[in-house]
Amino acid sequence: MTMWGYPEPVTHLIEQFMKLPGVGPKTAQRLVFHVLTMPSQDVTEFSRALLDARDKLRECSVCCNITDIDPCSICRDTSRDVQTLCIVQDAKDVAAMERTHEYHGKYHVLHGAISPMEGIGPQDIRIRELLHRLGNEEIQELILATNPTVEGEATAMYIARLVKPFSVQVTRIAHGLPVGGDLEYADEVTLAKAMEGRRPLL
Amino acid sequence: MHIEKLILQQFRNYKNQLLTLHPHLNVLTGDNAQGKTNVLEAVYYLAVGKSHRTNHDMDLIQQGQTMAQLQVVISREEREQELVLQLRGHTKTARINGIVQSKMTDFIGRLQVVLFAPEDLSLVKGGPSVRRRFIDIELGQSQPAYLYHLGQYARTLQQRNALLKQFAHGTRDEEYLSVFDQPLAEHGAQVWLRRSRFLLRMSELVQHTYATLSSSREHLTLDYDCSLPGVDLLHNSTSVTALSEAFQNALRQKHELDCRQGHTSLGPHRDDLLFFLDGQNVQSYASQGQQRTIVLALRLAEIDLLREEAGEYPVLLLDDVLSELDNQRQQNLVLAMSEKVQIILTTANFIQLPKTMTQQARLFQVCSGIISGEG
Ligand SMILES: Nc1ncnc2c1ncn2[C@@H]1O[C@H](COP(=O)(O)OP(=O)(O)OP(=O)(O)O)[C@@H](O)[C@H]1O
Ligand SMILES: [Mg+2]
Ligand SMILES: [Zn+2]
Repeated sequence: MTMWGYPEPVTHLIEQFMKLPGVGPKTAQRLVFHVLTMPSQDVTEFSRALLDARDKLRECSVCCNITDIDPCSICRDTSRDVQTLCIVQDAKDVAAMERTHEYHGKYHVLHGAISPMEGIGPQDIRIRELLHRLGNEEIQELILATNPTVEGEATAMYIARLVKPFSVQVTRIAHGLPVGGDLEYADEVTLAKAMEGRRPLL
Repeated sequence: MHIEKLILQQFRNYKNQLLTLHPHLNVLTGDNAQGKTNVLEAVYYLAVGKSHRTNHDMDLIQQGQTMAQLQVVISREEREQELVLQLRGHTKTARINGIVQSKMTDFIGRLQVVLFAPEDLSLVKGGPSVRRRFIDIELGQSQPAYLYHLGQYARTLQQRNALLKQFAHGTRDEEYLSVFDQPLAEHGAQVWLRRSRFLLRMSELVQHTYATLSSSREHLTLDYDCSLPGVDLLHNSTSVTALSEAFQNALRQKHELDCRQGHTSLGPHRDDLLFFLDGQNVQSYASQGQQRTIVLALRLAEIDLLREEAGEYPVLLLDDVLSELDNQRQQNLVLAMSEKVQIILTTANFIQLPKTMTQQARLFQVCSGIISGEG
């Protein structure tokens, strides 16, 4: 018997699950006992999926998104607008943007945002790769879609200043009122931001 | 609004105490350590959802017990409301008119209070950070947008300072620093502008209340010591853009110094609020009684601000405020305030009420967790 009062293999698996974000001892134990009831074939497939994800996925050599083929399917897609580049912090943001079906340009994934406090500088995210693309592709517009946090804003600002020498238009996505929500239910800060981002109607 | 009655159960040194309050003045007298402040703490807790003395709710439950209950009946806009807070271990249950509230935020603010506690003297005696916190709390309560800008400012400042520390050991990247200068200046300008609007109003009210308390014998003025050179927020009006640009320029000029020191040498986080009595800085000049009168004037000004926002006067809690005030100031305070607000006041000494007040007041004696008196 080990620390958890379980046989060694059980304890070992609990500890593995606890390496995942948001999984504490309780959840880990629940997951382990679920795995023990799964058919052997399912468990094999589960573990293979984990390995595959690790082995077969890599960063796209063009846009740095996570992909199983290089270049990724978006970079390969010839029907997309090659002149527009949307810059996001994470691969998750690409997926979110794609679900809108509204954007038809290409992406660049930074894998993070500048944060001196956490020791993350411009050289630690994929900005060098972005500059390389600006020099080699025919990009007309950069849409900075980093998060509306201090770090996301700083990253957007850094990039905007950096790309000045290139004749490329730089825009920042707007943050404001959620669509379909009533004005009276928006919190004051969101409202204030929406006021700041107002534009002429005619 | 005012409190009609208050019931404390297993709270601090009270086993089970009912208190029927007068709508104007209530005086709790008693020796030290008898439970006077505990009563004010209970009322404060019902209003704000936390104690002004401790962060551990467990301290509030009577020793040897597992739960405490506070109950108050208030009259607000001519209507009665019953508020109940139950503390059991680390959980608290809030009820309004018998209905359990799932969110404390729905409960907080039903009863509004302004508290003067002896610790408040640090507003005059303490360092600049105490006064900045006072401004931030007062403003933040009424303006969520202020808290947003203040939060963004603080985070940007942390990032900028981390960067300055990096540059202290290597070469400085001006462009990279500027990336934090701009948002720092934008949020900082918002913070400044909102502080200046608030302080202008506050300054008017404080001057007035101080004059009342001191029988117009002394004149109190406020000033805001802004770390941005050449800026006088209370006397010259500026725009957010102008402030933000001036701040950004000043930050750029300080790049070298800031890098050497490893922190940001100017901004709203370096400012101070100054008090002057007849033109003299109070920190080096004012007497004990004058300092107490200043803090009192600040709290009384808060009452008028709350009234402007909420439409009703809050309840005024005065803990041991009289001790350093002369007879005249005591009377001025009681006369000026008890007409418009309900006061609950504690004192270890006998208090001489103005003759005209005896009908308007109720006196209580506090003795080891038992309160006796009229009502
Ligand atoms: N959880 C508790 N259970 C029982 N008694 C408590 C508890 N917490 C505090 N007390 C008692 O309450 C008393 C302090 O009460 P309080 O602070 O209200 O005094 P006070 O009347 O304001 O005195 P002073 O005039 O010195 O300010 C102390 O005697 C203390 O032992
Ligand atoms: Mg006391
Ligand atoms: Zn790609």
